[in-house]
Amino acid sequence: MDKFIVNIIHRPEMVPEYAEKVTGHGKAEDISRKALLTESLDIFKTQQECAHKNGLKTTIQMTYASLFNEEAIALAKEHHEKYGDEIALTLLGLPCEQFRKKYKTKDFCIWMFSMEDKKSIVDDVFGKFYETFGFYPQSTGSYYMDAELINYIKEKYPSVVCAVATCWEEGPKAYHTCNNSWYTFMDGGPWAPWIPSKVNTHAPAKDGSEDSGIVAIPHLSRDLIACYDGNGSNFGTHPQNVLRGMSYDSKTWDYPYLYNLIDQYRYQAKFNNGYAYNMMFVGPGWMNKMGRWEAPYELLLKSYEDGCAYYGKLKKEGALCDMTMAEFAAYYREKKTYTEPECALWRDILYGSDKQLFWYCDPFMRACVNMDQGGAIVDLRPYAAKLEWPVGIGTEHIVDASYPFLIQEKYRAGYFTHYAGEGTIRSAKVCHGGEEVDLALCRTKAHFSKEGNDRILTLDPVDIEFADLTVKLQTVITFTEGSSNIKIERKVLEMSDESAEVTINEYMVGCYGTTEYTEDMSSLTLRLSGSENKELKYEYKCREESLAGAQSVSCSLPPIKTKVTLTCEGSEKCGYFKEGYAFSPMFTIGYTGKLEKGEVFKTWLSLERED
Amino acid sequence: MAQSGKGRLNYRCPSCFMRDLDIDMFYDKDKKEFYCIRCQYTGTEEDVLEKNEMIRFRYRDMHKRYAMEDFEKFD
Repeated sequence: MDKFIVNIIHRPEMVPEYAEKVTGHGKAEDISRKALLTESLDIFKTQQECAHKNGLKTTIQMTYASLFNEEAIALAKEHHEKYGDEIALTLLGLPCEQFRKKYKTKDFCIWMFSMEDKKSIVDDVFGKFYETFGFYPQSTGSYYMDAELINYIKEKYPSVVCAVATCWEEGPKAYHTCNNSWYTFMDGGPWAPWIPSKVNTHAPAKDGSEDSGIVAIPHLSRDLIACYDGNGSNFGTHPQNVLRGMSYDSKTWDYPYLYNLIDQYRYQAKFNNGYAYNMMFVGPGWMNKMGRWEAPYELLLKSYEDGCAYYGKLKKEGALCDMTMAEFAAYYREKKTYTEPECALWRDILYGSDKQLFWYCDPFMRACVNMDQGGAIVDLRPYAAKLEWPVGIGTEHIVDASYPFLIQEKYRAGYFTHYAGEGTIRSAKVCHGGEEVDLALCRTKAHFSKEGNDRILTLDPVDIEFADLTVKLQTVITFTEGSSNIKIERKVLEMSDESAEVTINEYMVGCYGTTEYTEDMSSLTLRLSGSENKELKYEYKCREESLAGAQSVSCSLPPIKTKVTLTCEGSEKCGYFKEGYAFSPMFTIGYTGKLEKGEVFKTWLSLERED
Repeated sequence: MAQSGKGRLNYRCPSCFMRDLDIDMFYDKDKKEFYCIRCQYTGTEEDVLEKNEMIRFRYRDMHKRYAMEDFEKFD
């Protein structure tokens, strides 16, 4: 039977992130204002009540500030006894008088501190927790937890088994939405729980030697299509996200989208061996008595009550299992193997577009296949490199914690570009009689199946019409567990002229980066190998090379220690690469070949680390 | 009085919201209008509420409740 699990997390945040800015407008900053502290604790109590009255247990993530508050401590103890809530410790909510006096900074994101400060803060916070409760926590978290931080915590406090470790696709989009003032750059991670590797939090561990020792959970369960293009904080299992995104009826205060989102996550059990997951984690600032996002407090409260009531209803129906974070970590360790991928076949449930995406994540890659673009790969993160990427003050990446991409259709264009050049995408072109059709413009849908270690996406065939020929072509995409590659097969099912042949051009346009702006491509090298070897150092000179019968075509990207390779099986295969130029700072690798009726053209895209 | 305040309910600029920007507006008591500090939008509370309804045009399935069997069903 399918198992749908929810983690509900509350934190008594004595100085909520938004509250001081919102309720305190027109007053000089004072984070110890009594009204602020009282309101924060009241909101925490309300949230706990919402969960408990629906029969749901929670994980109480004590903040550093709350460890100085007797009432918050007493409540946590009482709820642990009465409801089985886990008493955990968050690294969010650091700001308070005691913290500011000691660290003399207004920084509050744990991953942005220097490593020296991270260790000191962790020791302070964990020490204070131990002093308060007499034990160390099993769960912790923040919006992001870098690998070095997790490794330190696990070494010093081995009781920790679970952590909130990233916000899915919170990066440049969130920054822009917040008027370029919200510095949480952590794109490129898993959307569902995973076991982080010791080297890079985003990249799941491939075996015990890479295991960081914790199970990571995402901060909220995000809409896997709406969040990829839009503001993440509008589309998640956070009832007030629905209000922030204005996707509710302002007259009736109804929001079916929230329930559709939860249910679509439930549906993912079909693609993940009967397991699906949700996380709800609402900070008190979102339930401000002054109202927020045009919504009065009554609506903020209603949305949270309704969210808990829906999870409670599912639990009563036997369709949901509520767990604490530590309980979930134990379940996950039992349920999942290291290489078992997380899969999501996701549809648009808000805009009425019928668009469909497939997300795949394992220790070697995260990939997004867009059926509205004929099964093109529109996002690709090479986890196979397990890239070292320390973040925080004193490192090369002070705030940029994102895992670099090879393909990102929103930041580096996809199929469509203005005037000249190409955008990042992995697609194919079918050519005949001087005409060319890119499959990215052939909208279709996919069906998921699992055969042994293969997760297979079979796309509905598309009819490509040339002036004198119609071709019915089908795409099948296979992800083989643990292989670090993606197989793409194109099969001609029918042709209006059975003796005709078409040319296929399988290609990947790539680059690297974490943001919308181009990086220096000068260190890249393109290679063709086969009857001879050809190599080209990237110099923005718009050069091209090809090789009939090539065994492989590849690009080495030293800045992200990644090598991406295409190999091929098909009639008259010919490998090629293209160097970009300054106005189109990309590389292209690909294969051309011939296809007749009934023939299949196969390519494999492989990812590996290259030092 | 020269200084503006936040006004009731922290209304965001509807014009900026349309381009995925969340910016709380400020309220000019003398002119009785909200104004955006980034773009050129100004409007009364009534106008803001009206524009907020307009924003919802893109959420065509906002009122639709999907059943579990609908997630792979396409018309």
